[in-house]
Amino acid sequence: MTSSLGAVRGVQHRDEREPVSVERSNETNSKWLDAHYDPLANLYTFSSCTALLDLHRDGEAKLVVGDLGTGLCNMKLKVYKGTSLMTENALLDLPTGVVTFLMDQNEPRTPAVAVASGPYIYVYKNLRPYFKFTLPALDVNLLEQDVWNQAKQDMIDPMTLKEMLEGIRDKADVPLSVRSLRFLMLEQEEMESFVNLHKHHPIKRQTVITCMGTLKKNMADEDAVSCLVIGTESAEVLILDPEAFTILTKMNLPSVPAFLDVTGQYDVEFRITMACRNGSLYILRRDSKRPKYCIELSSQPVGLVRVQKNIVVGCSEETLHAYTQKGKKLWTVYLPSSITTMGLLDQKSRGFQAVMVGLASQEVHLYRDKNLLNIIRTPDVVTSVCFGRYGREDNTLIMTTKGGGLIIKILKRTAVFEEKDTSPGPPLAQGVKLSVPKKTKLYVDQTLRERENAVAMHRIFQADLYRLRLMAARAYVKALEGSVAPISSVQQEPLQMNAVVQGIGPKFKLTLNIQNTSINHPSIHLLISFLYDERLYSMENSFFKIPLLVPGLNYPIETFVDCLSDKGISDLIKVFVLREGKSAPLLTAHINMPVSEGLAAA
Amino acid sequence: MGLLDRLAGLLGLKKKEVHVLCLGLDNSGKTTIINKLKPSNAQTQDIVPTIGFNIEKFKTSSLSFTVFDMSGQGRYRNLWEHYYKEGMAIIFVVDSSDKLRMVVAKEELETLLNHPDIKHRRIPILFFANKMDVRDALSAVKVSQMMLLETIKDKPWHICASDGLKGEGLQEGVDWLQDQIQAMKI
Repeated sequence: MTSSLGAVRGVQHRDEREPVSVERSNETNSKWLDAHYDPLANLYTFSSCTALLDLHRDGEAKLVVGDLGTGLCNMKLKVYKGTSLMTENALLDLPTGVVTFLMDQNEPRTPAVAVASGPYIYVYKNLRPYFKFTLPALDVNLLEQDVWNQAKQDMIDPMTLKEMLEGIRDKADVPLSVRSLRFLMLEQEEMESFVNLHKHHPIKRQTVITCMGTLKKNMADEDAVSCLVIGTESAEVLILDPEAFTILTKMNLPSVPAFLDVTGQYDVEFRITMACRNGSLYILRRDSKRPKYCIELSSQPVGLVRVQKNIVVGCSEETLHAYTQKGKKLWTVYLPSSITTMGLLDQKSRGFQAVMVGLASQEVHLYRDKNLLNIIRTPDVVTSVCFGRYGREDNTLIMTTKGGGLIIKILKRTAVFEEKDTSPGPPLAQGVKLSVPKKTKLYVDQTLRERENAVAMHRIFQADLYRLRLMAARAYVKALEGSVAPISSVQQEPLQMNAVVQGIGPKFKLTLNIQNTSINHPSIHLLISFLYDERLYSMENSFFKIPLLVPGLNYPIETFVDCLSDKGISDLIKVFVLREGKSAPLLTAHINMPVSEGLAAA
Repeated sequence: MGLLDRLAGLLGLKKKEVHVLCLGLDNSGKTTIINKLKPSNAQTQDIVPTIGFNIEKFKTSSLSFTVFDMSGQGRYRNLWEHYYKEGMAIIFVVDSSDKLRMVVAKEELETLLNHPDIKHRRIPILFFANKMDVRDALSAVKVSQMMLLETIKDKPWHICASDGLKGEGLQEGVDWLQDQIQAMKI
């Protein structure tokens, strides 16, 4: 890549998968009318070789198809009217693009059909051959020419010729001509005759057309004169004058273009988007001989469609990416199957545009932005899609299949594509910006002050923190020393206790769960004593013995408390676990009694 | 209706007025057919695509027809339903040579028959399988098959092959329509 390019790398973020529920095209609830299906139409083509146009200016649009035939023979330019084939013209080579355009201002304004095939563009008017444009020949390798000249004068034999050509092939900057490459492929016995047959003709190096499009000359009108834009195998983009068929502009690309899209006007400003075989998109503009922007895709492009100002490109790894015309990535959709073809659905009456994607799973998906709007199931894998005015119907979808079938569907007059987001993902509300209030002066002053005194503030904070920790540690030690914690840390009697109060009053049930946490040392001779306000509470037994505590087991000890007050006040009850003969408790628990909700027992 | 009017009606002096809607896709020949039904001195020579609708009048032996000749173009088809209430009969013209758009005609007919103003009324529908003169036009039987006319059970309907340019088959259809309207009234 040249350094002048601003490379934009697509960021991968897997956020959407095949949506769960999207309206499938079935018989009853479809947006499409099945106008025609001929599985044996014998039509083998791609989207770039189909075009719709009003050929005879009679208000009835025809379908022009560059039929690839078997790939070796039967290449034809076919014209369909309604459901039947109207005319066909034989083509000499495989068509790589079919476009319709207006060549001149002459009345009647019949559109011309341009068919790109090999190094030629055949222009038809009224379905009759009108003009043939040939791409200019490329420079020939001088060394190669010398070698062939020597062969012509019989100065070298075919074997020497072969060796010399191989040497040139390995070293030279300019590639060999097709003739030399063919010669190098031959067996020894065939060489002699090949050389004798061809040596008298000068060698030529010819490039071929890979893709073709149209660009309005100086007006944006529907019926304005258009230039042809072609991409070639020699990684060049040519813009041809519609009347004289001279090359108006020539631009170079870093790779061979496979798909192109053109927008704008030649005399004003235009953009040509090229999807190239090196897996990059290049965007060319007027007055620049080299690409202005480059978008590096993660895989090979298999289709290119422009929706308004955005570029939607289909990739071989079953994804659909959208970019702005400056190369900023907008979204990615992951498809359930690989892409076979792509096309634009432009419903002019509603100003609605969407991308049609033909998939290998015998479906055509319709995407508006990244939302899947409609799925058309087809009886065979679709290889070309074309939407527009056909016959007298404005919204007609024409598809051809892998098996050579022709499918024509008409969009219902009442059909409206719902533009709801059908893909799972973050909710819409997430994208809504919160209205954050403006920064007040106080806030600004405060932050300024914080910034200036950061070190002092940190020191003060640290000192306070240490003080706090120290105080906490002291309180903890004090609690342990006074055995006022519910856990006993005495080595001989490791005990743990928690208390549960049940009931709504005035009688409460107090359950003390006492556990000996030592490993193998049972506790004996333990006592429990309660301390409470005798005006508020009364207990049957406020002092009793606990049985032997086996290590590890939980001993629930239940006792009842009566609340004597009906004034809605509550107090603390303290529980002490004591050892016989010692006045300092082993552990202490404070029970916050709840307010008695029932009336005092009368 | 006054006594005098009724008397005149019985004597065939004053004819009963009937409102008829003429529907069908664009370029099916609605205006051409209506034009041909008008008295020869009122016919026009050049037919242009109808914008919106035209109101035409013609008389048969016992009825006076007022026809709403609606435009068939896609963008005007939503006007049709506003006139359904007034129509006492429907003439639906189909271009028999346009196989591609037969489904569109079928769809529009379906929409028409399911409209609340039409659905529960027993109004006669006359179909013209027009453009019989075109070389590979479908026959009236084939058209009725493709349009699934046999599924219309609750309304009288009739299909006749026609050639709007020459006027062939039109009289047959209008006679049927007249019989139906008179039968409906009694």
